[in-house]
Amino acid sequence: MQTTVEEKETSMQTPAKTATRDIYLPSERKSVAGGGTPHVVAKDFSIFYGDFEAVKKVNADILSKYVTAIIGPSGCGKSTFLRAINRMNDLIPSCHTTGTLRFDGEDIYGKLTDEVLLRKKIGMVFQKPNPFPKSIFDNIAYGPRLHGMTDKKHLMEIVEKSLRKAALWDEVSDRLDKNALGLSGGQQQRLCVARTLAVEPEILLLDEPTSALDPKATAKIEDLIQELRGSYTIMIVTHNMQQASRVSDYTMFFYEGTLVEHATTPQLFTNPKDRMTEDYITGRFS
Amino acid sequence: MNLGTRKVLDRSFTSLGIGSIVVMALALLVVITPIVYNGLGAVFFQGTIEHRKLLQDEFHRGDKAQLEREIEESGRYRMEAYRMLGEFEAELEGMDPVKARQYRMQLGPVKTALQGLLGPIPGEEPGILTRFRYGQTRWEKAEEKLHELLYESKWDYSDPNVMAKEYFVRRAESFEGTSLLPLFSYVEQNAEKMLLPRFTAYWGFLFDKSVDAHIFGGIWPEIQGTFFLAIGAMLFAFPLGVVAAIYFTEYAKDNLFTSMLRSANSTLAGVPSIVFGLFGLAFFINTLKVSESKSVLAGALTLAIMILPTIIRAAEEAILSVPKTYKEASLGLGSTKWNTIVTVILPAALPGIITGGVISLGRAAGETAPIIFTAAVSVGSAIGLADVLSSPTPALSWNIYNLASEHEMASEIRHVQYGMVLALVSIVLLLNLSAVLLRARITKKLKG
Amino acid sequence: MSGEVQKESSRSQAFVVSESRRKMQKVARTAGETVLLLIASFVAIVVLFIFYFVAVDAVPYFQLRGFTEFFTSTSWYPAGEPGEFGALAIIYGTGMVTLGSALLAVPMGIAAAVCLSDILPFSVRQYAKPVIEMLAAIPSVAFGFFALVILAPLLQTSGGPMLMWVWWILAAPFLLLSVIVGSDLLTTKIEDPLRRKRYATMLQALFGLLALLVLYVVGSRLNAMEILTGTNALNVSIILSFMALPTIVSVAEDSLQSVGRELREGSYALGATRAETLVKTVIPAASSGILAAVILGIMRSLGETMVVWMASGNSSHIPEPWYNYLEAVRTLTATIAGDMGEADQVTGSARYHVLFAMGLLLLVISFISNLVSERIVVRQRKILSGQ
Repeated sequence: MQTTVEEKETSMQTPAKTATRDIYLPSERKSVAGGGTPHVVAKDFSIFYGDFEAVKKVNADILSKYVTAIIGPSGCGKSTFLRAINRMNDLIPSCHTTGTLRFDGEDIYGKLTDEVLLRKKIGMVFQKPNPFPKSIFDNIAYGPRLHGMTDKKHLMEIVEKSLRKAALWDEVSDRLDKNALGLSGGQQQRLCVARTLAVEPEILLLDEPTSALDPKATAKIEDLIQELRGSYTIMIVTHNMQQASRVSDYTMFFYEGTLVEHATTPQLFTNPKDRMTEDYITGRFS
Repeated sequence: MNLGTRKVLDRSFTSLGIGSIVVMALALLVVITPIVYNGLGAVFFQGTIEHRKLLQDEFHRGDKAQLEREIEESGRYRMEAYRMLGEFEAELEGMDPVKARQYRMQLGPVKTALQGLLGPIPGEEPGILTRFRYGQTRWEKAEEKLHELLYESKWDYSDPNVMAKEYFVRRAESFEGTSLLPLFSYVEQNAEKMLLPRFTAYWGFLFDKSVDAHIFGGIWPEIQGTFFLAIGAMLFAFPLGVVAAIYFTEYAKDNLFTSMLRSANSTLAGVPSIVFGLFGLAFFINTLKVSESKSVLAGALTLAIMILPTIIRAAEEAILSVPKTYKEASLGLGSTKWNTIVTVILPAALPGIITGGVISLGRAAGETAPIIFTAAVSVGSAIGLADVLSSPTPALSWNIYNLASEHEMASEIRHVQYGMVLALVSIVLLLNLSAVLLRARITKKLKG
Repeated sequence: MSGEVQKESSRSQAFVVSESRRKMQKVARTAGETVLLLIASFVAIVVLFIFYFVAVDAVPYFQLRGFTEFFTSTSWYPAGEPGEFGALAIIYGTGMVTLGSALLAVPMGIAAAVCLSDILPFSVRQYAKPVIEMLAAIPSVAFGFFALVILAPLLQTSGGPMLMWVWWILAAPFLLLSVIVGSDLLTTKIEDPLRRKRYATMLQALFGLLALLVLYVVGSRLNAMEILTGTNALNVSIILSFMALPTIVSVAEDSLQSVGRELREGSYALGATRAETLVKTVIPAASSGILAAVILGIMRSLGETMVVWMASGNSSHIPEPWYNYLEAVRTLTATIAGDMGEADQVTGSARYHVLFAMGLLLLVISFISNLVSERIVVRQRKILSGQ
C-alpha cells in the first residue's frame, strides 16, 4: 500500500493514464463467498430538500459483501444518497423521499421501520473523524452498551475484536482508558470504524472517510477497507477516483442528482459507457 | 476639518473608551477594597480581655487558667478606678445638695462610658442583655469609648447660616477640684492594662452563633441560611432549566409557539427582583400555602424562578456549542435521540451547563429582594435541615441590610456588617471563579 | 480475515418491527416530547402566573381607591387614618434615579463597549472582561451597603469638593476638545493657510479663556455646595450606574461584534480615522443592538431594590427644584420592600394592595421594555443578515 501512496502523489499529471494503471484487473480480485446478492435496492428513489430534488429517481442494486464506490463532482448528491441509506437525512427537517429503497427486501422508509434498529444494521463513518470525548474503550463500547450489553468481560472482548478488525489494536491496546481525542487523525478515523463494527452492522457506509487525513493515514484506511471486504457490504463516497479504483469492486457515478453509470470498477474506469462518465474520470470536469 | 484636529478627535475617542473601562475597574477597586479591609477586621483585630471572657462564657473556648490570671491582673488596675469612683460618690453625699445634683447629672454619662469600656461596675446591677455584661471586646472600639469617657461632645449652633459643627470638651474640666479628677488621667494612662488587648484571629466569626443580636458572636446562621436558600433554589431550577434547554435546542420546532416560549424566558429574566418577592408572597405563601408564613422552601422556590432564565440560557448555549458530529456519530451507531442527548450531548455540554449553574448559584446567594417577604428573618439561630420546609432563616444578604439600616446599634457594629458583606461577596465571587476554573478543567479533560 | 465470516442468519429483517410496537414507540415518543414541552413551557406558565397573581392583589387597590390618587397625588401616608396613597412622588423618584443612572452609565457603557470590541488589543481585553463580570456579580446589597456606609458620609462631609474635582476631571478635557474643534470649524472657510492658522490660534486663546472661566465658576459653585444628606438621588444614581454598566457593555459589545469586518475595512479604505469609522459606520450599524443594551441597562436600574432602599433616603417628595439630585427621594421598589413589613399582617387592606399595584406597574414597564428590546435585536439580526 505504501507504493500506491507514492504513486498517487506523483501521478497527478495524466489522470487518464494513471486511472488505468491503478485499476485492479478482474482476475486480481477474488470473488466473495456468499456475496453478490442484492443487499440494498433502490427503485425510482428520489430525495428532496424542500422542493429541490437532490437525488433523482435512482435505480440500483448494491451487492452484498462487495465494495461499492460512489463518485461524482461535489454537490452531485452522492453523500445525500449514502446518508439516505441509514436515514441520517432524518436530521434535516425539510428532507423527504419518494420511490423505494429496500434493505434485505424491506423498505427503509416504510411505516414500520425503526430507524434506530436500522442504523444498528447499517453503520456509518463520517468525513471528519468524530470520536466522542470519552476513553477509547468507552467509544467502542458505546454501541454495544446502547443495545443492552453491560457485562464488562464481554464488552472487553468486543472492544478487542473491533479494534483488531480495524487494525488499531496493536497501537492502542495499552491505553484503552485514555481519551480518544488524544489519538492522531488517522487513528481516530480507524477508531470510528472500530466503533461502528462493534455494533455488528451488515453494511458499512463510509462518507469520504479519508478527506481529512494525510496520505499515510489514508493508505491505512484503504488497507482496512480491503480487509473488511467480504465481511461487510461496504459503500464508500469519495471524490478521489484513484481511491475508488483502488478499493472498490463496483462504482456508481452521480451527476447532478442522477445516477449516470453503475458498473464494475474496471469496466467503469476503462470502458465507460456514458460520455459524461468518461469526461469525469479523465478529468475534463470535476 | 484639518487632519490634526481629526487625529486629536480620534485620540480623545480612544481615551474616552479606555477611560470608561478604567473608571469601571476603579469603581470595582473602590467598592471592594474597604469591604475586604474592614471585613477582615471582623476576624483579625486587637481583642481585649472582654472578648476572651465572652468566648469563655458563651462558647467555652480559650485557656481558662490564663484568663483567670489575666482577670486578676487587669482587675488590680480596674479596682483603682472603681475606688476613685466610690470615693467621689462618698464625697457627693457630704456636699451641698444643689451642687451634688449637678455633679450627679454629669457623673451619669461618665459612668455609662466607663461601663461601656470595662463592663459592669462592681456593686451595680447590670442589664439583662449580654451587651451590658461586657466591656469593649475590640481595642479600636475601646479607644472610641475612652474618648467618650474623656470628652463631652457638643454642637456649635452659633451661626444659623452654617450647619452645626461638633466640638469636644474635656469632661475633667467639669470635675475640677473634686476627688474624681484623677480618674480621667488614670483611665487614659492605664486603659491598655485594664483591657489587655492583643492580636486575635477570631475564626469563630464565621462559625459561631450570634450573641445578643450580632453585637457579639459570629454569623454562622446567616451563612448557613444563604447556603440553604441558594442550594434549595438550584435543586428546583437546575433540572428544570437543563430539561427546558434540551427541549429548546433539540426538540422545539421553529414556530410561533416556540418563539413565544423564548419571549417568556426573556421576560422572566427582566422582571424586577422585588416583583419576584411579591409573587412569592402572593403565590407560594398566600395561595399554595407551601408553609404557614415565610420559610426556606418558599424563598428557595422564589429564587428558583428568578434564576431559571439564566440557567436555561447558559445550558442552551452549552448544548448548541457541542459539535454536530457527535450527534451524527451516536445516531449512526443506532442510538435513539434521547439516548444520544443523555450519553453524548449532555456530557459534552457539561462544562458550560455547570458554569451557568454555578454562576446562578452565586446570583441566588446574593439576591435580597425576593427573600424579604418569603424567607428572611432578621435575627434568629441557625435552623436544622429538617426545618427548611417550615421555618424562615437569617441570610447574609438580608442581614447586611438589616444590621446596616435597622439595627438599633447599627453604627456600633460596623465590623460585623463589613464581615458579612465580605463573606457574601467572597461566596459569590468564589463561586464565579470556581465556575471559570471548572470550565477550564473540564474542557481540558474533554480535549484529551 | 476469512475467520471473521458473518453468520448467515443476518438476513433477518431486524429493523422492521410490528405495527403495534411501532405505534407504541410513537406514543412513547409523543408522550416524552409532551413532557419536555410541558417542562419547557413552565417558564411561560410562571410568567403568566406572575402577572396574574400580582394583578389579582393589585386590582383591589384600584377598586377601593380608583386611579386618580395613585397617579396624581404626592401625599404618601399609608399608615394614616384614613391612609393616603399618592404615588406620584415615588414614581417621580424612580424616574429620577433611573434617568440619573442612565445619564452616567449609557455614555460610559457605550464607550467601554466600543473600546472592548474595536480598540483594546486582545491581551488587554482578557483582563478587562473579568472586571466587568466581577462588577456584575457583586450582590446588590453589597453595593447598597457601600452606598450607605461609605459613599453617603463621604458625600455629606466633603461632597462639594468631590463634585468640584469630578467636574474638573470630566469637563476640562471636554472643554479643551471643544475649543480645538470649535476654532477649527469656524476657520475652515478661510482659504489662506497662514491667515487661517493665525485666526485659529486667536480663537483658541479666546475660547480657552472662556472655557477656563466656565470651569472655574462652576467648580467653585460646586465646591461651596453643602449637601444636607448623603443618602440622596445622586448617591443612588452613581451606584446604580455601575450596576447597569455590565449589562450595557456586554449587550452593546455583542451588537458591535456582529457588525462585520467588511464594513470597517470599507470605511478605513476611504481614509477615515478609527473614531470616524466607529462613529459614522460601526455604531450606526449596531445602533439598534446598542439601543437594546441601553433599555436592558435602564431596566436593571429601574428594578433594583436594595441600593435605593438603603441609600436613597426614602423620602417621598418631589425635590425642590425638580432637578435637585442632592435631595432624598423614594422609589417604587424601595416602597414595596419597606412597607410590606408593616402591611402584610393586614392582608386585604388598601395598604397591602397598593404595594402590589406598584409591583404591577414595574412588571408592566419591564414587560414592555423587554418586548421592545427583543424586537429591536431581532430586527437588527435580520438587517445584518440581509433579509
